[in-house]
Amino acid sequence: MAEQGRVGPHLRLCRGCRRFTNPDEIACPFCHGDMDALQAEHDALQEEVRQAADALRAAMAEARARRDA
Amino acid sequence: MSELPARYAGDDDLANRVPVIVVWEITLACDLACKHCGSRAGRRRRDELTTAEGLKLIDEIAELGCRDVGLIGGEAYLRKDWLQLIAAVRANGMDCTLQTGGRNLSEDRVAAAAAAGLQGVGVSIDGLREVHDELRGVPGSFELAMAALRRVTAHGLSSAVNTQINAKSMPQLRDIMDQIIEAGATNWQLAITVAMGNAADRPELLLQPWQMLELMPLLAELAEDGRRRGLFLQPANNIGYFGPYESSIRNILDDEIHYRGCAAGDALFGIEADGTIKGCPGLPSAYAGGNVRDKPLREIWENAEPLAFARRRTVDDLWGFCRTCYYAETCMGGCTWTSHALMGRAGNNPMCHHRALELDAQGLRERLVQVKRAKGDSFDHGEFEIIVEPVPVTVPGRVPDRICVNG
Repeated sequence: MAEQGRVGPHLRLCRGCRRFTNPDEIACPFCHGDMDALQAEHDALQEEVRQAADALRAAMAEARARRDA
Repeated sequence: MSELPARYAGDDDLANRVPVIVVWEITLACDLACKHCGSRAGRRRRDELTTAEGLKLIDEIAELGCRDVGLIGGEAYLRKDWLQLIAAVRANGMDCTLQTGGRNLSEDRVAAAAAAGLQGVGVSIDGLREVHDELRGVPGSFELAMAALRRVTAHGLSSAVNTQINAKSMPQLRDIMDQIIEAGATNWQLAITVAMGNAADRPELLLQPWQMLELMPLLAELAEDGRRRGLFLQPANNIGYFGPYESSIRNILDDEIHYRGCAAGDALFGIEADGTIKGCPGLPSAYAGGNVRDKPLREIWENAEPLAFARRRTVDDLWGFCRTCYYAETCMGGCTWTSHALMGRAGNNPMCHHRALELDAQGLRERLVQVKRAKGDSFDHGEFEIIVEPVPVTVPGRVPDRICVNG
């Protein structure tokens, strides 16, 4: 097929105000936050949450194993 | 990340113009009399496709790579061969769902449809009992729709609800959600009532653009609450765009999913019961790309100019607020159907959260006033004018004045 469909651009989510911004923005045009810094802060928090969830799962598995032993 | 549903159109689908979703009005016959019906359904079309033509069309749809065929009406089950069509869709390896008002979706019909291979049913519920019955034009239709939803759930089919958001239903959305969760719904598709067909005759039923300020936080709250309770909210193409709740309302598996423009004619198309093909089932007849009785479906899909509007639209085609909007390149004026029905042409869509927020920050809001009535045909529309006015100052206990600044 000769003519391609339209693939709209992907925007970047500002982790400060939850608005989407153009990918090349350094500061969010809505909340003026530093896009990279906010993303790094978000990623670190997500990692903490992931680790906490892993720890909880491991503790529950251990408790289950102890109970079933 | 978990696997996305088959009906989700990815970048490859869009680029290669795979019609992932096909929405097929198999008959215009209907057993309800909805006050917002865009197609003004009731009697069947004079020249609906025959069974043989329908079966041939299903083969052609499958050849284009479609993954999901949604049967609509009118009321699809009023067509005598509806089960045969469902079975043929499934035999061609595509998913098949049904959208229904549910008035006569009896136990026997649900069982027969499930046996034919139907996978999911979306039941239209537009309010609590009184509002639903009024909007659907049949007393008792709310109870019948809820019973149909329960039946669908009991048969193990994927059970969804479609709700039109308008002046009557918006205040009841939270209560509707509670009731449909109780009845077993797992998906809830919400669409703003479009000023088309019967709805164009009732402008008082339509939401005003400034009500997006109230609607979007409400939907975000419902989406989050729904997720916790096993109900996934699916905003239709005319809900948005790009305010602080954009991510919340579209977040199923990935919070970076956002609206990326109308995909009509690129990732989906609609079929009218007489074989007319349009980029989206709701669009007016000016968008008809041809009829499968005259040409092969593939030829219409690949070459018809009236199906090319979304992929060829540029920012230069936008007008009004949308032309200079921060999101113009991505959004391209949002839902073509909604803006065309309101403004007489696409590219300027007042039903937008970002737009309402920008105006609100300047102390302004937009109000739609109908300046031309619809003729009374299927999929017709009138025309509206946008009045920009100051946001009324609310004094407790006093009804605000309305001041027009731009007639």
